[in-house]
Amino acid sequence: MAKRKAAFYWMTVPALLLFFVFHTFPALQGVFYSFTNWNGFAKTYDLVGFKNYYYLFQDDNVGNAYWFTFKFAIVVTIVINVLSLLIAMGLNASIKARNFFRGVYFLPNILSVLIVGYIFNYLFSNVFTVWGQNLGIESLSTNLLGSQGLAWLGVAFVAIWQGIALNTILYLSGLQTIPTQLYEASGLDGANKWQEFWKITFPLIAPFFTINMVLAMKNALMVFDLIVALTNGGPGRATQSISHLIYTGGFEGGEFAYQSANSVIYFIVIAVISIVQIRYLQRRETDM
Amino acid sequence: MAKWSRLLGAACLLGVLLTLTACGSGQSADGKVHIEFFQNKPEAKASFDRLVAKFNEENPNIVVTQTNPPDAETVLMTRVVKEDVPDVIGMGATDTYSVLGKSGIFADLTGEPVLDGINPRYMQMLTDLTGQEAINGIPYAANADGIMYNRDIFDKLNLEVPKTWDELMDTAKKIQDAGITPFYLTYKDDWTSNLLFNALAPNIAGIDFLLQRRDDQVSFQDDVMREVAEKTLAVLPYGTNDNFGRTYADGNRAFANGEAAMYIQGTWAIPEIRKANADINLGFFATPTGDDAESNNLVSGVDTLLAVSESTPHREEALKFIGFLLEEENISQYIEEQTAFSAVEGIDQDDPALTELQPYFESGRLVDFADHYIPAAVQLNSLVQEFLQRGDVDAFLKRLDSEWDKVANRRS
Repeated sequence: MAKRKAAFYWMTVPALLLFFVFHTFPALQGVFYSFTNWNGFAKTYDLVGFKNYYYLFQDDNVGNAYWFTFKFAIVVTIVINVLSLLIAMGLNASIKARNFFRGVYFLPNILSVLIVGYIFNYLFSNVFTVWGQNLGIESLSTNLLGSQGLAWLGVAFVAIWQGIALNTILYLSGLQTIPTQLYEASGLDGANKWQEFWKITFPLIAPFFTINMVLAMKNALMVFDLIVALTNGGPGRATQSISHLIYTGGFEGGEFAYQSANSVIYFIVIAVISIVQIRYLQRRETDM
Repeated sequence: MAKWSRLLGAACLLGVLLTLTACGSGQSADGKVHIEFFQNKPEAKASFDRLVAKFNEENPNIVVTQTNPPDAETVLMTRVVKEDVPDVIGMGATDTYSVLGKSGIFADLTGEPVLDGINPRYMQMLTDLTGQEAINGIPYAANADGIMYNRDIFDKLNLEVPKTWDELMDTAKKIQDAGITPFYLTYKDDWTSNLLFNALAPNIAGIDFLLQRRDDQVSFQDDVMREVAEKTLAVLPYGTNDNFGRTYADGNRAFANGEAAMYIQGTWAIPEIRKANADINLGFFATPTGDDAESNNLVSGVDTLLAVSESTPHREEALKFIGFLLEEENISQYIEEQTAFSAVEGIDQDDPALTELQPYFESGRLVDFADHYIPAAVQLNSLVQEFLQRGDVDAFLKRLDSEWDKVANRRS
């Protein structure tokens, strides 16, 4: 018995230690630095208490980054989940060349975000503009990413294009867990497709819906590399996400401690959102 | 109990091992001294590659490797935070340099023989920037920020190089009337949207104005800054139909192919433009900022300075490499390839594209970039980019003040 327990400890303790050393410990250090005035490399620094937090709440650049990030995350999460569920149902049906289509739809997920970003950057400036001019669409005839008001839609479009891949696969695996007998039975009872979806399919993939919502939201809230590749936060600060602000302000601007405070707040915000989301969606799962 | 402690011991050992392997690198197996040369100019990568190869050949016991990541200044900051400072650093004389210098990241090179022959004006620029007596950086190459023009287009339209601001606007109007794009503006990249501001502010408001701003004696809402902002805005109608959608790379390509008559850029872009079209007949003039051509200065800064890490164990070899780069033959090759200006005295830049700039260098009518004196945390580039989109002068000047104050408060 004791021997078997030791094996379990061997499985868990090393990972826990690694996690602590490389993740928890630096995170705690970050919390500590947020109470200092350290610029990231000076030999000395002082403790300044809550000063960084005080200025944080007066900084409209922070508010602006939160506004962009949430606007972006909500739109991206909803659109990704609707579209990937639709695509997954199509890919789950018995269509021709099904595996080929599954492969194609999964492709964006294995491409690096930066590569996708740079490719779309080229498309936005050189290809979509030509389409826009030919079709007479005003907002597309100039580079969408260069527009103060619309650039965020361009970023969201690319995020959705790439994000759909993973969520589609997750929904697909969910759909495959549903026994076909249920559909046969509902067919006998005379249910139409609409009822079938809301009464059978959707309730049975509820756990997958939960995880997809949480994952998509989390990925969108942490958006960083896509911004770097597409707009670098611009025009002005129109597409500056919170992680981008933390990075540029903390390193480029030499305000390491101040942006540490920003990341502490952001950590709390993300933790709260994730907990609320999981709680709410899981309760809904059991209700169904 | 015994089992527990053994388990814990093994786990700790694992942790220690991991940390050790992570920190234990750096000592080479081949017995040679390895020097990392980190530099920030993507345009100069090939030039430095050639010089580095030559150095490695001449010095079999030293291996220099060049690092040139994109967005190098930010990467350098992250390296500094990780306490992994490259041995030799090549960077511009920017606010980042000033902050790093003040923090004691760079070695003090006062009295080193490699400093002989360096133009004292550029040495002065660096010490002004850091506000310290220690010499943290050796000026290597200087640049100029101004307006590039296509001589063939100017000849065809019988245009002269403009000497005053009004002449510049007049020239732009004539070019536009002839159906040619006057300025190829590449304002999707925020740093390029700042170039005109950088040329106007030191001439109209002056560097002293920015130094006084540090001490809160002046405000950006003063009239001189309003003039700077209005003139920055005035070129927009003479751009392309998509000023905010084009990037630096787009601009270099388009200007090289004669798609526009003028291009607001620095001398560092010339090699990139010639890569796209080796035969372009281009010229370069200082941005005319006011009514008096005689009092106009050329904006020129230290494009590349060389610094040695305070913490490097190979200071001697690092200095040897710097000394090599400063040798007449090597710096001449560099400034020729990069169309830059030498910080070593007695080495002239005789590129035909830059003849109009020679008088400024000879008479010393040079002034530094404005943004070298504005804290990086203000993020001037994105403020200017936003202002150009919105076009609201009052809001912009107010915002410059409030952003500066916020940063100053946080730093105090």
